[in-house]
Amino acid sequence: MHKPIATTRSATGIPTGRLAVWWVLASEIVIFGGLLASYVMHRIGHPEWAVAASHTNTWIGATNTFVLLTSSFTAVLAHQAAEHGDGKTAAKYLLMTIGGAATFITIKSFEWAHEIREGFTITANGFWSFYYTAAGLHALHVIAGAVVMAFIARDAMKGRELHRVELVGIYWHFVDVIWIFLFPLLYIAK
Amino acid sequence: MAHASATEAHAHEHATQEHHGPQGILKYLWSTDHKVIAMQYLFTGMFMAMVGGFMAYVFRMQLAFPGKSVPLFGYVSPGEYNALITGHGSIMIFWVAMPVLIAAFGNYLIPLMIGADDMVFPRINRLSYQIFLLSVLVILSSLFVKGGGFGGAWTSYPPLSANADYNLTPLGSSMWLVAVALEFVAFLLGGINFITTLMNARAPGMKAYDIPMVPWMIVIASILFMLSVGPLFAGAIMLFFDQNLGTGFFDPTRGGDPVLWQHLFWFFGHPEVYVVLLPAVGIVIDIVATFARKKLFGYKTLLYTAVATGVLSFFVWAHHQFIAGIDPRMANIFTVTTLLISVPIAEMCFVIIATLYGGDIRLKVPMLWALAFVGEFLIGGVTGIFLGASGADAYLHETYFVLAHFHYTFFPIAIIGTFAGFTYWFPKMFGRMMNETLGKIHFWGTIIPFNFIFIPLFVLGLDGQQRRIYNFQNFPELQHLQPVRILATISLVVMLFFQLFFFWNVIRSWRKGPKAEKNPWKSNTLEWTTESPPPHGNWPVDEMPKVYRGPYEYNHPDREEDYWPQNLPA
Amino acid sequence: MSEQHHPDYKKIYIALVILLAISVAGPHVGLKWLTLITAFGVALVKANLVVENFMHLKWEKVLAKWVLGTSLVLMALFFAGVSPDVMEHKGDRWVNNAAIAAVARGIPDEEEAAAQEPGAEEAAAPREAAAAAPPAPAFKAEEQFKQVCSACHGLEGKGNGPGAASLDPKPANFTDPAFWADKDDATLVKAIREGGASVGKSSAMPAWGSLYNEDQAKQIVAYLHTLKGN
Repeated sequence: MHKPIATTRSATGIPTGRLAVWWVLASEIVIFGGLLASYVMHRIGHPEWAVAASHTNTWIGATNTFVLLTSSFTAVLAHQAAEHGDGKTAAKYLLMTIGGAATFITIKSFEWAHEIREGFTITANGFWSFYYTAAGLHALHVIAGAVVMAFIARDAMKGRELHRVELVGIYWHFVDVIWIFLFPLLYIAK
Repeated sequence: MAHASATEAHAHEHATQEHHGPQGILKYLWSTDHKVIAMQYLFTGMFMAMVGGFMAYVFRMQLAFPGKSVPLFGYVSPGEYNALITGHGSIMIFWVAMPVLIAAFGNYLIPLMIGADDMVFPRINRLSYQIFLLSVLVILSSLFVKGGGFGGAWTSYPPLSANADYNLTPLGSSMWLVAVALEFVAFLLGGINFITTLMNARAPGMKAYDIPMVPWMIVIASILFMLSVGPLFAGAIMLFFDQNLGTGFFDPTRGGDPVLWQHLFWFFGHPEVYVVLLPAVGIVIDIVATFARKKLFGYKTLLYTAVATGVLSFFVWAHHQFIAGIDPRMANIFTVTTLLISVPIAEMCFVIIATLYGGDIRLKVPMLWALAFVGEFLIGGVTGIFLGASGADAYLHETYFVLAHFHYTFFPIAIIGTFAGFTYWFPKMFGRMMNETLGKIHFWGTIIPFNFIFIPLFVLGLDGQQRRIYNFQNFPELQHLQPVRILATISLVVMLFFQLFFFWNVIRSWRKGPKAEKNPWKSNTLEWTTESPPPHGNWPVDEMPKVYRGPYEYNHPDREEDYWPQNLPA
Repeated sequence: MSEQHHPDYKKIYIALVILLAISVAGPHVGLKWLTLITAFGVALVKANLVVENFMHLKWEKVLAKWVLGTSLVLMALFFAGVSPDVMEHKGDRWVNNAAIAAVARGIPDEEEAAAQEPGAEEAAAPREAAAAAPPAPAFKAEEQFKQVCSACHGLEGKGNGPGAASLDPKPANFTDPAFWADKDDATLVKAIREGGASVGKSSAMPAWGSLYNEDQAKQIVAYLHTLKGN
């Protein structure tokens, strides 16, 4: 498929793809913002949720934060390589980022399986409902990002569409930032 | 910039070789051409308008002649009645007003009016329509599943919507929610495309104040939509879990808060009014300037009022909840902001009137629709003042007064605005002129019955008639109003009958109307500088337009002709 | 474009990991205000580092900052407009009974939980939160009857509340001796907690088991007995 002339224009000075990613992030901010704002006001209004919150495992949460921070680091290294036109290195770093995503999801599934066995299901209490909804929505973003990165890594390997490495990187850092806020909200502020 | 123009030249080469796309029937189903996608949205939207109109006909017949069999439908059960009013509301807003005003006109006009060959992301554009089509299929099939369609109104308030024990539609309510969420995804994808296209892909020379009003308004509307829909999207996920997993986000018996849903909904729901209003205003502005042959009075004023409307629209949502048990102190604040928002809207009307003043007005069919828009929308706006004041709202809320009020806003937006735009750009879209006589019959046959439908409903509302009642025979004190209800219903049937003239006109003109020239209305904007209908890619690759002036230079003193296209060098 | 700027990514990464360690260590000091700072203050710093350096927002055109900033401001607006209704359970001339009941139900559980894990470090925070919470209102059967049951059964228990008009069979009249002739307390408690259908009566009587526990239902039945003589 050819590119329309429209796609190559840039009246704002921001390349079209990156401009679109900023708008995607704005729409994501309001989706997560609405959910987390609802959570925070319920949490403050329901002191009894602190009991439920005390059962989350801080160490698992911290490990997952570390995994995501590291994957963000590899994503930015992939971007650096792509800027230098080195598609192979960029693809290698992207694959490492996908590995980070897989680790994150694996840890998360063990964590959830354990919690559900303990009886903390999504219906157990309002806190757990928000816990699974917010972390689940975030996990979906992690999976989606990993899938997109796999396609972009395939192209980057052949040196094609290298600017997309930056775009998916921006999205990935955003997913990281969301987790940076979910971590204290769900695990630390007990 | 040198780099950018090099890639543009490169794209030109590609374009000459590959500007074909798929062939045959796939050309229409699998095309990435913005004009084809616009047509897909337009016809899907029109089909849904017929569905929504038919629903209105069925439940109005039930209200006027309760318990009688409705022709073409049969007896209406209470559950069906609820599903019909819910379906009518949801379909008319999410599947008629949005796809036609934003997606169809936006897709068709934004690239043409800013001198681009397509949207910046044609494949995302196609995906947007496909997701939208899926949402159409889901909402339509939800009406026929076991238990019937969802009957909790388009606002879908929990706990009624959250628990199948209450709403008795275990499948219908979840499918409704899924359909709405899919529709949101489709318009988020489309909206990102519109916004980026307008920001980045303008023709060389087109500065911010040279952009015609239609692209501006559609893009402002897309931004409003994108920034307001997020919380509701999160809310839809929560409500879906309430329905299907048994969580208690909105169920007070499980520690949830139903008022939270109302906030999530109206934080989106009120900006949504302006999301559909602004494109209609843009269409009307373009038509008024063209047919008054006069420079638009206050381009920047209009643009700033549109932005001000958009910003203010985020500060008024709780006026839908004055009697829902929200904190009365918040109600005070929201009363003030609600009354404030009438200022920019009034300013828009003044801009239109000032443009008309002293103009060389030509009452062609699009112009009639545009003028009707202003007149009818004013009634909707003025009656909104009563509802925006929390004290008066305590009496008027949930009565037919509210219903008549928002139909006086949404009908001008979604129906009158659409007909204005459709008749104005029909020559460009189909390359033929429409019949003026049939158009005028259709116009008067729509406008007059429209007022006879909804003015009676104001009367009913002031007499205290509640909304969402299946059969008013159960309310002896409202019995004497039955003739008013019958009047409204008969007017609706008359109005629906006159729509046949529209379809006849479209089919007849499409097949054998006189051929349209490039610029039949002698208008300035860029879409009139290409063929009617425009070819794939809109302009030949080496003749992409450049822009030298603003879009509303009519009757300029330096020029003999009374119009001055944007692309003519000085 | 962003080619010209390269922060030292490794330094930023190390800073992020150190900040993570601080936020995990924060709660172990046991001061609530300090935990809030190490949790959310550090999160803000971390997010800022990632956004500015990894996402290159520091070098992006100002337009992108406006786009993201606007959506953040709107979320603050959403919170400001909604929290008075959702976060507070009582306001100027309004009360959210369901939410207050939910808090009241949750607090005793909390004490049990704390009792089960004596000395557990995590339990310190919830106890503190509970101390800050308003005390659970004492259960008053009469109040509950007038707020909940009276909708159908009427304020005086005569079965003539506003909701009664549309019901058939009519709601029970507790002042009628015939009502009391064939019912013992256990049946009434069951009817209150599991709904009218559970004792072979009208299914229009909802199950209130999620609102009242066994003991509270008994108190309501005791109140019903006081209506008999009216």
